[in-house]
Amino acid sequence: MSHQVPITCKDTTWLVSDARERELTSEEKAALTAHIEHCELCQGASKQFEVLFRQLGMFLGKSGSP
Amino acid sequence: MNHSDTSNIVDEIATLRDALFHLALLQLRNKSEAEDATQEAILAALESHTGFEHRSSLKTWLISILRFKVLDIIRAKKRLLPVSNMAKLEEELDVTVFDSLFEENGCWSAPKDAWSDPHSHVEQVQFFKILEACLTNLSPTASRAFLMREWLELSPDETCAQIGVSSGNLRVILYRARMQLRHCLDLKWDRNA
Repeated sequence: MSHQVPITCKDTTWLVSDARERELTSEEKAALTAHIEHCELCQGASKQFEVLFRQLGMFLGKSGSP
Repeated sequence: MNHSDTSNIVDEIATLRDALFHLALLQLRNKSEAEDATQEAILAALESHTGFEHRSSLKTWLISILRFKVLDIIRAKKRLLPVSNMAKLEEELDVTVFDSLFEENGCWSAPKDAWSDPHSHVEQVQFFKILEACLTNLSPTASRAFLMREWLELSPDETCAQIGVSSGNLRVILYRARMQLRHCLDLKWDRNA
């Protein structure tokens, strides 16, 4: 963990998108988690993406409505 | 299921036609194909609606039927030639449009409002309406690629072949689509709760 290359907020958005197509490497996952943990802006943004993907799934008939 | 339930469902299916057509059109970007897919989905639904169990909403159920009809059409079609208009493709691949969202050092330039999931059916209907409008704002290439992945669940390779772009280009197109959707919802959805 200590050798992690820090990533930027912009980098996290790429990883969040890429993760929809492929499994992130363990280094990428660790870098993403470490960044989000310390970055309030990214906590907000990743929550937004989470809600977006969950609601999109419901909109497209992947799971039931509440 | 008694007679009045049945006729209610038939009526309800008819009221959802526009929504189904709109989604098919976003995916296919061809009116007559979207019309065909919608028609076939509705016919299939009318034939089997007695089997509809209320575990999901009627709309969700119809969308899952439509998905198969759209997949049939896409797979039967000859794959498109690669995007021939280079200027168009370059535009699709331009991620500098998001530069203003970030500082020079790659940090978000503004705090993000905390979203929460819609709390009620009414709120969710509202959310879906905005989501649909935001999807419509995507470019034809972006919405097709995005829905192939997120709705039809085509593999990235098949999506590349259908859209006629490299996997590197697809990655950028999907990134742009997701960033645009988040941004669009952020502007339009009043998520104070």
